[in-house]
Amino acid sequence: MTGGNPILEAIDYSFWLDKARILKGISFAVKAGDFLSIVGPNGAGKSTLLKCLLRLHQSGRSSGTLTVAGKDISTYGQKQLAKAISYVPQAGGWIPPFTVRDFAKLSRFPHASTVSGLSPSDEKAVDQALESVGLTDMAKRSLKTMSGGERQKAYLAAALAQGANIMLLDEPAASLDPKHASELAALLDKLNKESGLTVIMVTHDLNHPLKTGGLALVLAGGERRYFGPASGLLGGGVLEEAFQHEFLYLDHPYGQGRLVVAR
Amino acid sequence: MSAPLRISLLIALSLLILAVCPFMGLTFISPAVLTVPDHPASEVFWSLRVPRTLAAFLAGAGLSLGGMIFQALFRNPLATPFTLGVSSGASFGASVYFWLGGIALIKSGSLGPLFSSLLGAFLSMFLVWSITRSRGGFQTAVMLLAGVVINFFFSSLVLFVQYMSDAHDSLRIMHWLMGSLANLETARLAELAFVTIMGTIFVMSLAPQIDLLTAGEELAASRGVKLKTLKLEIFIVASVVVGTVVSLAGPIGFVGLMVPHACRLMLGWNHRRLTPSVFFVGGAFLSLCDLASRMVLAPAELPIGIVTALLGGPFFLWILFRTNSAGDLF
Repeated sequence: MTGGNPILEAIDYSFWLDKARILKGISFAVKAGDFLSIVGPNGAGKSTLLKCLLRLHQSGRSSGTLTVAGKDISTYGQKQLAKAISYVPQAGGWIPPFTVRDFAKLSRFPHASTVSGLSPSDEKAVDQALESVGLTDMAKRSLKTMSGGERQKAYLAAALAQGANIMLLDEPAASLDPKHASELAALLDKLNKESGLTVIMVTHDLNHPLKTGGLALVLAGGERRYFGPASGLLGGGVLEEAFQHEFLYLDHPYGQGRLVVAR
Repeated sequence: MSAPLRISLLIALSLLILAVCPFMGLTFISPAVLTVPDHPASEVFWSLRVPRTLAAFLAGAGLSLGGMIFQALFRNPLATPFTLGVSSGASFGASVYFWLGGIALIKSGSLGPLFSSLLGAFLSMFLVWSITRSRGGFQTAVMLLAGVVINFFFSSLVLFVQYMSDAHDSLRIMHWLMGSLANLETARLAELAFVTIMGTIFVMSLAPQIDLLTAGEELAASRGVKLKTLKLEIFIVASVVVGTVVSLAGPIGFVGLMVPHACRLMLGWNHRRLTPSVFFVGGAFLSLCDLASRMVLAPAELPIGIVTALLGGPFFLWILFRTNSAGDLF
């Protein structure tokens, strides 16, 4: 990746499902190694945007462009896109009937050959992914018997095993207790800072982007309300306008920047 | 016990059942007889019992395979090889044939019901496919609903045809609906074998994608699976295999619902391991059911569709209660 070229970019991107326009002319650009937090009220189009980036929509139409590594995503094959972007879905609902390791192995599908299956290098990628989230000891546990927090780490490991440079996460900490949520956030920060993973995460935790720095994209009603450094969330009524709600801005008691609390 | 070992044992046991079944029946045929040239029992063995056992095996394998991939596709434990109406389409085709007394276009013995039921199966497939397509994309929920509607539609037509028929034809239709391997010609065996084996090999090649599909549609797509293509492939391969089996043997129920579940409880959800096991266990199970259907009321024959449920139900419950909670059902 040379210097300033965006690894992922949306240019005036709109998306319609049936007659409803869910995304309205969204533009933003992310460089390799960036951490982008997407925030906004429910129904703002956050998850829809992620699904567009992954081409998960089976119907609907779009205008504008989405590019990954400088290429329009519509020119990517599904496997090729899976090698470029990995995904951690929203937690809850159906739990896949696999062990942690078998589940992570499934993510090697875009790399594996149809005939011979997984190669030793695939197995190694899976082991590394489990190690980096600290689940090596739980490799043989069934996802169904794990706690929500552990399971979310297993999902993260599976996405890592995909071996992509960009990772998309849809509210990964939504159903987690504070301990597991902050562990997961720390894990993501580490992957971003140490391994240079580009992270794009939909989140409702407004303090996470403030703490990590990085970029923030604020959506409301399918429109972009803010895009820029996360510190920009603090002033100018960005959050108030997006959420139609009042916020309090507090100094962090240990001097680590500022905190946002919904009034 | 490790999974590969369990699979090997299951397959070995299934092959043993396949090998033993032809010797059993109204009379036991001693293996020694086979070496005697022109012995009448040898003739019975080779031209009646072997083809019939093979037919039962292949039919059971095909129905179980269809059930396995439909359950994975719909992520629904109640999905059966017949969920999308293939079987009622085939039944409708066959009943129209019997109703018309076989005077329709084709008039060449057992090929009549075969062709008319295949035609019915393809008609129902085509209807389900076009309804699903008309809603855009290839959405599983739409396909399931279309299948249920088409299934009811053709089932009602079968009842209508039965109502319109005289007592004799009505009885023939009813016998066909109960399923039977008694009248299957040896010549049809090759076709049945070709379709079920090719279907199994094709499903094996799809196995990693089917695994991902059971983990969730969005997840599968994000890992590089072309959902629309995969669903269409599963739909077509299941319909063709099941349509062929039903056309030859009638809509034999229960096998396709229970065998995949039993195998999943014993082996887990890896479809590379599951597919061959389901093939062999399904085959062996239906061979045993066929044997029972020949022996229980001998010399009369019990319709095999009755046997599968009577024999398979308790067997399945036994597995269900024996397996610890780590065995995942849905």
